[in-house]
Amino acid sequence: MGQITAILGKTIREFLRQKTILFWTIAWPIMWVLISSFSFTENVPSEVVSYVRGSIAISMMAFALMTAGMANLPGNIAQDRERGLLSKLMSMPINPWRDLVGRILALLAFSALAATLVGLVGYICGARFSYTLIGVCQSIVFLLLLSLASAGIGMLIGTFIRHVHGAIMSGVGIAVVTAAISGVMAPFSSLPWVLQQFSKIYPISSANSSITYLLVGEDYAGYNPLTTTQTTLTIAISSLVLVAGLIAYSRFCWRKE
Amino acid sequence: MNAINLEDLTKKYGDNEVLKRVNLKIEEGEFYALMGPNGSGKTTLASILASVRSPTGGKIEIYGKKPEKAKDLIGYVPQENFSSPILTGKENLMYFAGLLGYSKKKAEGIVSELLSKIGLSEDADKRVYNYSGGMRKRLEVATALFPGIKILILDEPTTGLDPSARRKFLGLIEELREKETTILLITHIGADAELASRVGLIDKGEIIAEDEPQKLKKTSGLKNVINVETMIKSEKVAKVLSRFSEKQKVLETPVGYRVYCKDVEEATPKIVRSLDAIGCKATKIETEKPSLEDVFFKLTEKMVSEVS
Repeated sequence: MGQITAILGKTIREFLRQKTILFWTIAWPIMWVLISSFSFTENVPSEVVSYVRGSIAISMMAFALMTAGMANLPGNIAQDRERGLLSKLMSMPINPWRDLVGRILALLAFSALAATLVGLVGYICGARFSYTLIGVCQSIVFLLLLSLASAGIGMLIGTFIRHVHGAIMSGVGIAVVTAAISGVMAPFSSLPWVLQQFSKIYPISSANSSITYLLVGEDYAGYNPLTTTQTTLTIAISSLVLVAGLIAYSRFCWRKE
Repeated sequence: MNAINLEDLTKKYGDNEVLKRVNLKIEEGEFYALMGPNGSGKTTLASILASVRSPTGGKIEIYGKKPEKAKDLIGYVPQENFSSPILTGKENLMYFAGLLGYSKKKAEGIVSELLSKIGLSEDADKRVYNYSGGMRKRLEVATALFPGIKILILDEPTTGLDPSARRKFLGLIEELREKETTILLITHIGADAELASRVGLIDKGEIIAEDEPQKLKKTSGLKNVINVETMIKSEKVAKVLSRFSEKQKVLETPVGYRVYCKDVEEATPKIVRSLDAIGCKATKIETEKPSLEDVFFKLTEKMVSEVS
């Protein structure tokens, strides 16, 4: 049993046993899938309603991954620091990078579970997709990018906001606000020009649009996010945010005073 | 052989010198208590040994190695309750076993032994938030008892424990002492420090005295102490009592004062009369042997722990 496995096991158990985490990451997006699928689709023509529900389900899956990375991960980091566990870990023969990998793998596993549950509820509510096998594979890659970018933001929050409550609420706040202004929670076409540009730069909304484009179609994504430039931008900024988070965490959380 | 060797250890935070050229040698198998008030530098010293903080200057050796190279020999138990409350006791220990690189099968065996050693076998599958403060602290000490760990550093382990939990906890430490683990106990409680084979008194980043507990008391020159419990505590009462005390200083306790005088038989009735004269009733007066807190007070004119 290696260090990474030990950290992964502990972190995922903590994710699954905390009601706040389960609420924001699973219950809240599911609630929105239920509300949006029935309340906001009343005037939608019947031939497209299932695809609208599909795009709603994808957005809520993205939101679940956002809260997992931006709130659960920093909350977990802040909690470990606040109760002295990080001091204890620093006194042990542990490589900080293994700690990081363990935490991120736990986040990815938990995010996969949350996204599956949200997607399943969406499907039960009538969400339908138009996809190819390659499209599904590409979507998984974009979901992974979305999750890693959220983890990067989460690690930055967890590193610099020391208190558990502050870290969780900051993460939830950033997730909710950015989801609202970047088009994760609203159609891209309804955003003003400035926010449309933000939506293309913000790696989470551009990844979300890419998945919507691949699984539902361009009409629902609002633009083509799979151009070479846009895809490169999504991958580059996601990677940049993740690397920034990794560096901040390993440098500052594991720094000796 | 020295398990711990510190030479001229210094730690500064800006202009604030928290540790001032501390020299300390702790032999293998020794139980050493470092006792001092809040802010004296004792926790900083422990965390430097545990590689959590880095020193500003000086030499540190753990079995002849630098602390970073000797992490596998040290079991550090910080002051905070670091165990995860939503995991069970067993899950917490399995987590630490994994961090130390044990296979699942081997970890199961070791964790089971550790749980039995700390008396938590029956509560192993309960989540830690159901544990009492004492149970949780014992669980956390168990994280520092995995095979191969030779030095146990305990930072204020009994703080916040009720008397029964504290006794049980100290019993565990006594058992470990028999197994020749080197123990460094950081404390501000004299009764805890008295269990050690050697005690160092630390104040303002300097070790001001160091010896076996009985020898420390003997060399302090203190013979008897009058413990006076009073209905009220005030400056006036302290002033009256200080007239009977050496250097005219009394130590404030949660329920009264401790008076240091050479002839207790002569002083006791006078103390009662003097308190009566100012309208303060002594609820209890008894003669006691000096404690390590008294020795610390004699040396520094400061209390080791704040009076609540």
